[in-house]
Amino acid sequence: MHRRLFMILLVLAFVVVACGDDAATTTTAAPTTTVAPTTTTAGEEVTLRWRTRPDNDQEAGVYRAVSETLDGQLEGITLVYEPGGTETEGYQQALLTQLAGGTAPDVFWIPGADIAQFVGARVILDLRSYADASGHRDADFYPGPMEQLTTDPATGLPGNVLWGLPRDVSAFALYLNLDLIAEAGAADPRQLAAAGDWDWEAFQQVAEAVRALGPDIYGYGQSSWWGPVGFWANSGGGGFFNEDRTACGLDSPGSLAGLAFVQDFYATGAALTYGEDPEPVFKAGNMGMFQNGRWATPGIRTVGFDWDVVKLPDGPGGPSNWLFWGAYVVNANTPYPEQAWRLVQALTTAEVQAQVAELGANIPSRVSQAALDAFLTFTPPENNQAFLDGLAENPVTEAPLWNGDWPAYRDAMQVAVDAVIRGETSIEAFRADICAQLNQYFTP
Amino acid sequence: MTQAPIELEVKLPSAPSPSQPLWLLAVVVWQTVLALAMVAAAVAMVTGALFDLTGLGLVLMAGLALAIAVASGTAVPLMLRHRHSGRAIGVMLDYLVLVLAVFITLQAIGVFRGLDALGATFRRAVPLLAIVILGWLLLGQAERFGSRAERVRRAGKWVMIAGAAAVAVRAGVLPGLAEFFVRLAKPRALLPALVAVASGLAFWSLRRSRAVWLFGSRRHQEEALDGFLFVSPNLLGFAAFFAFPLLFSLFVAFTAWDGLTQITWLGPDNFTKIFSLQFATVDAGQSASDVLKFGYSELARFGSLIVGARDPAFWIALRNISLFAITAVPLAVIPAIGLAALLNTKIPGVRLFRAIYFIPSVAGVLGVALIWKQLYNASVGFINYGLRRLFDLINLLPGVEATAPQPQWLSSRSVALWSIVIFFAWYTVGFNTVLFLAGMQGIPGTLYEAAEIDGASPWQKFRKITVPMLRPTTFFVVATTTILALQVFTEPFILMGPQLPPSGPSNATLTPVVHLYQEGFRRFNQGYASALAWVLFLLIFAITLVYFRRQRKSEAGMG
Repeated sequence: MHRRLFMILLVLAFVVVACGDDAATTTTAAPTTTVAPTTTTAGEEVTLRWRTRPDNDQEAGVYRAVSETLDGQLEGITLVYEPGGTETEGYQQALLTQLAGGTAPDVFWIPGADIAQFVGARVILDLRSYADASGHRDADFYPGPMEQLTTDPATGLPGNVLWGLPRDVSAFALYLNLDLIAEAGAADPRQLAAAGDWDWEAFQQVAEAVRALGPDIYGYGQSSWWGPVGFWANSGGGGFFNEDRTACGLDSPGSLAGLAFVQDFYATGAALTYGEDPEPVFKAGNMGMFQNGRWATPGIRTVGFDWDVVKLPDGPGGPSNWLFWGAYVVNANTPYPEQAWRLVQALTTAEVQAQVAELGANIPSRVSQAALDAFLTFTPPENNQAFLDGLAENPVTEAPLWNGDWPAYRDAMQVAVDAVIRGETSIEAFRADICAQLNQYFTP
Repeated sequence: MTQAPIELEVKLPSAPSPSQPLWLLAVVVWQTVLALAMVAAAVAMVTGALFDLTGLGLVLMAGLALAIAVASGTAVPLMLRHRHSGRAIGVMLDYLVLVLAVFITLQAIGVFRGLDALGATFRRAVPLLAIVILGWLLLGQAERFGSRAERVRRAGKWVMIAGAAAVAVRAGVLPGLAEFFVRLAKPRALLPALVAVASGLAFWSLRRSRAVWLFGSRRHQEEALDGFLFVSPNLLGFAAFFAFPLLFSLFVAFTAWDGLTQITWLGPDNFTKIFSLQFATVDAGQSASDVLKFGYSELARFGSLIVGARDPAFWIALRNISLFAITAVPLAVIPAIGLAALLNTKIPGVRLFRAIYFIPSVAGVLGVALIWKQLYNASVGFINYGLRRLFDLINLLPGVEATAPQPQWLSSRSVALWSIVIFFAWYTVGFNTVLFLAGMQGIPGTLYEAAEIDGASPWQKFRKITVPMLRPTTFFVVATTTILALQVFTEPFILMGPQLPPSGPSNATLTPVVHLYQEGFRRFNQGYASALAWVLFLLIFAITLVYFRRQRKSEAGMG
């Protein structure tokens, strides 16, 4: 009998202790339905949970440090940072499950291309009224992301709404193995870019010269997701969509020119086989040019050869790049929307963005000169300006389809484009079918 | 031989007593209140006054409330007539309401989320556990102290109690207690707590021996009730974590749902989409989109005949998984028999080899897949490097000049699936070997001895004794490996990503589970993903059924 009583007391003690800890860390219950904002009295401390997607443990550590700093700075707010997994560790899947279960954090990060999905599902809050009251200016951030973050889902056009603020931005560049390029006797792409001669032709010449160094040496490598492929279409003067993003644009002459170039280029054998992971090959010193975003910089900093970056080559459509981004948004179910907005603002100040960008993986999303100047000091690479050029020269903003199903479009497009680059589908056959196939993913 | 149950006849009052016991009246009042409250709750839900529910959520919650109301309302007159059925309904209902109310109370208080963080709090108190351990040691070693054993035992007990109290205090039991009552005092926690107390008291009243006597319950009825209550934790767990999700996924399969917004009923549309095919002929100069209906994409082309599908990915996944299973299962099973035969001998170091072959099965598939991903890298991977070095050696031979093959293991659409097959077979063969080894060690040695006397060779013994006697093991191994193969997901997911989608180059490694994952979690089509899951389940079920039938026939043939 005593033993049973002891066990019961033990279980009850655990239950009670669990409450004690929860009281110290959490005050936001897990609502299953939309709740009215909670009015807090002066001096009342509220606890906010927030999460972002770091690319690695080091970055997760920086966000934890940011959270601790802001915890001391934000009056009346206690912060609980919940590190999210990386992209491959199912960040979005975990977030989706938590949203469905009503246990998502008060503030969380989402990729730019997912914004329409979250707005459509009404799981994130329109922050416009809080922003207006706090003196926020949309113009302080890159216009591309802000256009998406102020889009009214009813019209698909910018309106008087605000869904969040961009955490950071990124763009592609070509990571260069300067040792290989010098050994091949090819022109330095950075000098070509400075002289305005860095175009597709020059790019191909450098790649082929490096490839000629040996059977295991490759001139160029890119990952096979929609970003690198999209660059060639954009750079050719086309793109994934038509002008107002209401229909497929892959059969446009510009898109086809880009795809034709990349198909021919791969056929020369100068590039690493499409679909192979280029990063280990580049880091092993066997690749001349590796196309990737700023997020690859921390990993590249560990290589043992002389390297730098250069902007992507100009195509017939002129200079082009992507503007990748993600945003901090506020859970529609948070009981403390005003405090959550203050947290979003605090997480996107120039100071915090500089703190994160110093790691090398991100570019501040603020367009202030101070933020950009600070970014340029985060070397290597020496030529950080290449990323800023990518963001300044006609970039295409990563964006959702407000009137369509981007994930379905993306996956179907990927298979078709891959077949073109591998040479399994001719450009003509691609042109004939692609848009009829993809237009089904737009909402009439 | 079974013994007939002994039935104890107890007094069976057939009519309501003129004066009911007070406790029974209290229980009846509670059941009445519960029934009325549940009716009111159902009405409030339907009118939107309680919760903001629509669709399935409304049907489920209002249905649950009405079911409780009906059960409770039915129990009341039966209880007043002292019928056992009334008591049985009351016991089961109050038990379920008690469990539900406790769960809701704990959720409202925030205990479940607190438990997540308990690790951090409890860590503070871990050093104090030494006091508890000291008390436990004193208690256990008390006999060594001879005449002072009882005092030592008592001292040990108090040291343990003091240690436990210190642990609780250090872990935060006092602020926890205060917070517990503060939260309990809030209506959303207090109301279910009161319901829990009321249903708990009713349950306790109806389970007491005087209730058994009053309701004239017989022993077998009482035993049945006990039985249900004893298995209830398992039943409730099964219902909550297996049966309900399973049925819910079946329901979702007939809907359009992204996991976040309202569920929309579609009927069989998801299944229709999965299986929709269109056959058309295409003339020269025409493209697939010229002849296929809107929503259909080209799946295959045979001369001028074109096959379109509304979901070509499903058919591609089906083709891939068929090829995968046909090759991966034999590769994971046949070598396992050979390896088991080798490991079943008494050669030196055989135990070490048994461990070595089993290591892949012990290692996590995710970690091992990451290593294979590096091995498979066509440019800087060890496999192609090994091939190059091997051919360098071969080329040292006079007159030989061969070029080392450098397969694009993961990026070539004609090779990628076979890379997954090799990895799967490597990963699975060790576990299958252990199963076969266990099967072989169960074969009576006398059979081999008799065969040896008859002059059988080792091969003949293997073919005529080992293989037939392993039939049940083989059946099990083949069935489980086939099921594993049909559900393959982690291997393509890790090997292909992140530079390729898990569907691989040109969908070469797209499997049904990868497809349903992409639909459910990348495209947010939970309804369609559920439909795919059910189709996959039926496929696996059908194949397993065929295996079972063949096994039975085979056993009947042997018998």
